[in-house]
Amino acid sequence: MNIIEVNNLTKIYGGKLTKRKVTALDDFSLQVKEGNIFGLLGPNGAGKTTLIKVLLGIAFATHGNCKLFGKDIAEYKQKKMVGYLPENHRFPSYLTAEDVMKYFAALSGYRNSNLNGRIDELLKIVKMDQWKKVKVKKYSKGMMQRLGLAQAMLHDPKLIFLDEPTDGVDPIGRKEIREVLTNLKKDGKTIFLNSHLLSEVELVSDRVAILNKGRLLQEGSVEELTTTKETFHLELENEISDEELESKWKEFNLSRRDGKYIAPVGSVDRLNVLIDQLRAAGKFIKSVTPMKHSLEDMFISLINESEGR
Amino acid sequence: MRNILTITQYTFKEAFSRKIFLTFFGISSFVLLIFSLIFYFVGFDNLTGMAGTSNEMTDNVLTQVADFFKMMIVMPLFGGGLFLSIFSASSFIPNMLEKGNIDLILSKPVSRSQVIWGKFLGGISIVLLNIAYLVLGIWLLIGLKFSVWGASILVTILSITFAFAVLYALIILIGVLTRSSLLAMMMSYLIFFILSPILATREQFYDFLDNKFVEHIIDGFYYFLPKTSEIASITASLATGGGIDSYQPIISSFLFMILSIGISIFIFSKKDY
Repeated sequence: MNIIEVNNLTKIYGGKLTKRKVTALDDFSLQVKEGNIFGLLGPNGAGKTTLIKVLLGIAFATHGNCKLFGKDIAEYKQKKMVGYLPENHRFPSYLTAEDVMKYFAALSGYRNSNLNGRIDELLKIVKMDQWKKVKVKKYSKGMMQRLGLAQAMLHDPKLIFLDEPTDGVDPIGRKEIREVLTNLKKDGKTIFLNSHLLSEVELVSDRVAILNKGRLLQEGSVEELTTTKETFHLELENEISDEELESKWKEFNLSRRDGKYIAPVGSVDRLNVLIDQLRAAGKFIKSVTPMKHSLEDMFISLINESEGR
Repeated sequence: MRNILTITQYTFKEAFSRKIFLTFFGISSFVLLIFSLIFYFVGFDNLTGMAGTSNEMTDNVLTQVADFFKMMIVMPLFGGGLFLSIFSASSFIPNMLEKGNIDLILSKPVSRSQVIWGKFLGGISIVLLNIAYLVLGIWLLIGLKFSVWGASILVTILSITFAFAVLYALIILIGVLTRSSLLAMMMSYLIFFILSPILATREQFYDFLDNKFVEHIIDGFYYFLPKTSEIASITASLATGGGIDSYQPIISSFLFMILSIGISIFIFSKKDY
């Protein structure tokens, strides 16, 4: 089941009387399945936060439509099933962590006879239990993020939007947040993760979409996006000499690295031609694997491509 | 309704976190203490200077003295209390609209109109509580001292709170439009201290004006804007057991309040955050 459905969404900031208009999302479509961790990547100003804001009714779509849980987003009561950690969020400075949790539990329509127990449990998970009675104005950025995460999980939502959740969090904290996300996934929650920290998204996400200037550039599983069908690693039983690489196999641009051969053949058809020729030359092939590049490499190449660089 | 009450409750908390409402409370307590001391140490005869006169005369004098004390509280409370309340409440909406805060509120299953109503009721409740504390206190002290238990002064709790509610609706509107607490505060003070008193006495200026068109414009402003000056006069009259001569200032101010809240909700419901 699609828990999020976005169809041809366009968001233009700037009213009818405003000269300066900014297109934050441009004919954007996306589906997110239940139980997935979905990572949305993009450079600053790509439209990632705008997408979440439109889905949550914080900003309004200019064109297109969006659904959460199969219902139009205009139906605000379904937000009971949604948790949200905004980027650079601010909690009222005069409240303590406990007050913040109670306030947002009440606003979320969350009724639990053991609310205090639930708050204690979540503050412990995000390692904020010692700060329960301290006013949030005394918190560091990392502590605010932890509290924000606890707040987003408090009412046991089915879908959680996290906008840059590890911003300002130290490496140990980031690892802990990743563990929290993995546990949430195990509990069947759907997580929509906005981040520009590619390595983090790569570690936890099932599916990833890349957004630039409001347009969707690529979407798929991390595996699909990082695997190339143009370059392959070949592992051979018998070596190819440097002279042979420069002469006989030059047309395939074969090169050697760490005992393996890199074949930038460009297509699977061309790979098969190479394999035929290697076999004909008496080379014994132990393995052929598509080369992977990091999500970061892929991201940079896609962004550069979309900007014509 | 539950959402409105939640926002009301936390607006109340926000107000208490500001030192200004605690100061208001402190000043009220101090005033009550001073009056208690005056009533305790100054004898009845000294106060009235009418020892040995008939019961009817004594009652009249007592009522006049009690009215004098009521006015000593109610009128400064109207001016000073509203001044402090506007000062403190002007930042409620801009604070709520700060990036990172409003996102969280709007991501919850709460309608935008509920947010505005919650903020409105929260601001009014805190002012109502502060004013009720002082007025009830003084009513009790006067009753105990002079045995004058007329409840008319208690109605001023509502009239002062109403005057605040009208100005607070304007504060909310300006807050939603501009996110500026300073502008909201300045506009409220402008109406409260300058425009309303001037417009209330506009007919005196008409003798010097020989232009019907300008008079109509000024009349238009008068009927449109809140009439805090007249509400102050009504409050003074109510405090001393008088009636309300004209309900026009109350009705037109009430309409202004409803219009301001209505426009605020409309704009708030259409805005991107």
